[in-house]
Amino acid sequence: MGGVNVIVTKSLNHDDAKEKSGSSPQATIHSHEVIIIGGGLTGLRAAIQIADAGLNGAIISKVHPLRSHSVAAQGGMNASLGNVPGEDGKNDSWEMHAYDTVKGSDYLADQDAVELMCREATSTVIELEHMGTVWSRLENGKIAQRPFGGAGFPRTCYAADRTGHNALNTLYEQLSDRDIPVYEEFFVTSLVQDRGRCNGCTAIDIKTGTVHGFVSKAVLMATGGFGRIFSRSTNALINTGDGHTLALNAGVPLKDMEFVQFHPTTLYGTNILMSEGARGEGGILLNSNGERFMEHYAPNSLDLAPRDVVARSIETEIREGRGFDGGYVNLDLTHLGADRIMERLPGIRLIAMDFAGVDPIDDPVPVQPGQHYSMGGIDVDINGATILPGLYAAGECACISVHGANRLGGNSLLETVVYGRLVADKIIEDNPIHLEPDIEPIKLAIIDIEDKIGDIMDRKDNGNFFRVKNAITDIMFNKFGIFRDSDGMDDGLVEIKNLQEQFSMLSPINKEKPFNQSLIQFLEVDGMLKLAEIIALSAIERKESRGSHTRIDHPERDDVNFLKHTVSILNGEEVDITYKPVILGMFEPKERVY
Amino acid sequence: MKLKVYRYHDGMKEPRYDTFKLKSDPGMTVLGALFQFQQQFDDSIAFHYSCRGAVCGTCAMLINKVPRLACRTQVASLIKGELKIPLSQFPAIEETVKWNPEEEILVEPLPNFPVIRDLIVDTTSFFNYYKFVEPVFKPADKTPEKERLMDPSAIPELELYTNCILCGACFGSCPIDGKNPDYLGPAALAKLYRFHIDPREKEGTDRLERANIPEGWWACEFYGNCRRVCPKGVPPLIAIAKAREQLNDINEKKEEEP
Ligand SMILES: Cc1cc2nc3c(=O)[nH]c(=O)nc-3n(C[C@H](O)[C@H](O)[C@H](O)COP(=O)(O)OP(=O)(O)OC[C@H]3O[C@@H](n4cnc5c(N)ncnc54)[C@H](O)[C@@H]3O)c2cc1C
Ligand code: SF4
Ligand code: FES
Repeated sequence: MGGVNVIVTKSLNHDDAKEKSGSSPQATIHSHEVIIIGGGLTGLRAAIQIADAGLNGAIISKVHPLRSHSVAAQGGMNASLGNVPGEDGKNDSWEMHAYDTVKGSDYLADQDAVELMCREATSTVIELEHMGTVWSRLENGKIAQRPFGGAGFPRTCYAADRTGHNALNTLYEQLSDRDIPVYEEFFVTSLVQDRGRCNGCTAIDIKTGTVHGFVSKAVLMATGGFGRIFSRSTNALINTGDGHTLALNAGVPLKDMEFVQFHPTTLYGTNILMSEGARGEGGILLNSNGERFMEHYAPNSLDLAPRDVVARSIETEIREGRGFDGGYVNLDLTHLGADRIMERLPGIRLIAMDFAGVDPIDDPVPVQPGQHYSMGGIDVDINGATILPGLYAAGECACISVHGANRLGGNSLLETVVYGRLVADKIIEDNPIHLEPDIEPIKLAIIDIEDKIGDIMDRKDNGNFFRVKNAITDIMFNKFGIFRDSDGMDDGLVEIKNLQEQFSMLSPINKEKPFNQSLIQFLEVDGMLKLAEIIALSAIERKESRGSHTRIDHPERDDVNFLKHTVSILNGEEVDITYKPVILGMFEPKERVY
Repeated sequence: MKLKVYRYHDGMKEPRYDTFKLKSDPGMTVLGALFQFQQQFDDSIAFHYSCRGAVCGTCAMLINKVPRLACRTQVASLIKGELKIPLSQFPAIEETVKWNPEEEILVEPLPNFPVIRDLIVDTTSFFNYYKFVEPVFKPADKTPEKERLMDPSAIPELELYTNCILCGACFGSCPIDGKNPDYLGPAALAKLYRFHIDPREKEGTDRLERANIPEGWWACEFYGNCRRVCPKGVPPLIAIAKAREQLNDINEKKEEEP
């Protein structure tokens, strides 16, 4: 094992490091005080905080930070700025924001975390403004706010329909200004531990195919969601839940993985999001008989009923044979007229034209529900700390539990920036007591990963692993989608197990090292298969309907037995499911009526 | 329908082109076609992707000799010839291989960037130019407690430039970048201009001075390819023209003063 020559770099510029390292068996190890895995809003905000505290931090990301999923967020970020008064001229407050969030969560959110997020919301939005974000504005020059589902106030601050793009670019600009190193196109493969602490990670440099080591005093996971485990998803193709898998393999539990949000209107075919704004402007949903079917499901609020209600209604129409071939319904905007569509929904029109070849001015847009957000994630406390000292998580990959069983629109962008900053503060606070990390465990971890890849590459090819990738996503959408029941889920679990079995014998055909994107996808699927099993088990065990988790066989919410978080952990190859209490305090659970 | 794809990796003397018979479903994009190629024909192909929804700027490449986002370009529209864009031609973009637009879709890496492998190009210099223009907000006044106010009527012009997704299509389409590798290029200049017109920054021409060099505002020869290929409707050309005008005004004033 001692045969690996190691070069340790403390350099800020990893290119220097690369030059010094030769080909295998030499390995390159980079040293930073804090390693941040992920370059989305969470990772960038944390990196800025770490740098401003004078610590040596670095970002590792499998894509250029500006290509992170955060760039795609449309609608906005919630904060009780009170720039737009509510009904009766009432003013908004962080308490009301907290109430809406807890109610929206179907009372599964931890109320201390919700309180913290809502208290920090206004200063967070203003901070982004101070960094240069271009927000949409009101006539009086203040940041504009719009109403969003489940909120009692026009609370959502927005930058047209490009909020994520504007915010991410702002943070990236700040990052560039501070010369914070970014290890771009590095795919993180494992977390490394020494004497009970997390002290770094390994990653494949995708460009060369070599495994690098990273040694640090703390690691922050900011790897985003796992939407791509579902065949129909609004997420970027890179959202494969890698961070969840990394944590799990390091012995860290995941929490509330059964709670997956489905958005009712995603474009048929690609599942690109068609914002709720389309129905807000008067768009209506029609089935293949031309009926406005929402009349049967939500006679009062019709097409503007809450997201989960509309998603369930569309899915029912399709299942009962009143959808179109392929499984979709129509979102009709034609009656709004060309002027209104071009003025209010230009982005939506462009998406429909580019991706479905349909101009909504003349023709209805084909839509179907799709996976949108992962409420569950790495189990962390209110500081973002996991049970493994030195390992923290924030953003969509974490479950600090501000969204509970159902996330409100506009709260996740908020969460990324608030907790990106606060968890970084916690890391800064914890940092001085740490010992100098040892590089021996990192060296061993590099060998482990090289061996693992070697084993995968040596397998006899007897099939195309992309088929497994496509199969697992179909199973997840069909058996663990909008409607769940025990028969379907039990079948689904058996199929997942079968796929795991098949996959363990497969291998990418391409055996080259540089830019082996097939291998990267292979490793992603490897993790997805385990996460699928965890989602399945968590959902099977939760015998109630709460928020996004709708069970036909258990239609009621059951606070007596299930007002608790699901905690899943790996025990060898097995998954153990346990529970822990929800933190209440501000608001007592009530029935959720809108 | 066939996909004809540029292939290159270290150690090859000449790039080669692979042709793959495509099963084209309605709505299929060139990115979707590349995934089909990868999954059914050769999993060693390398190309960049992320959002698949034309917002992240990752997948710009040369498709039928026009720089475009692969995820936004529909195979069917290419075949029907709906996506023809008239461009000023230059060596980096011109014919490198014979191809039949009636039945083939030609996919090549973005011009004006060094090719690393297959469709993946090295964007280092593109992002160096981005950094060169100091793309970070520099407010005119001290940080107030609340948000800085902003006249909503200032926003539409600002948005024209903040909409840039740094995909590099404009850079790849620019004849000047093709012949002068030191030219900052349309995206970096548009980014600079975005900060220049931000009403929260100090008024004046300090920002513009940053690119008041031969490789900056003055290198452009107004071919206009950048504007035509931009998937987000960003007009670098207008920024460049206005910047020059303002810098000229200053010079004139300086000359008038004794
Ligand atoms: C279409 C759409 C619209 C949305 N709109 C809104 C909205 O309007 N308002 C709102 O509040 N929320 C919205 N959301 C949700 C919100 O966008 C996300 O929850 C949020 O952006 C997640 O940010 P993040 O920083 O946690 O992760 P991401 O932005 O997903 O970043 C993850 C990072 O981790 C890196 N990474 C992942 N795995 C690895 C690995 N193995 N090795 C190295 N790096 C890795 C990636 O490269 C990336 O940089 C929307 C979501 C979707 C899908
Ligand atoms: S200006 Fe347009 S073409 Fe150029 S990088 Fe920006 S979005 Fe791409
Ligand atoms: S994949 Fe994001 S722009 Fe094409």
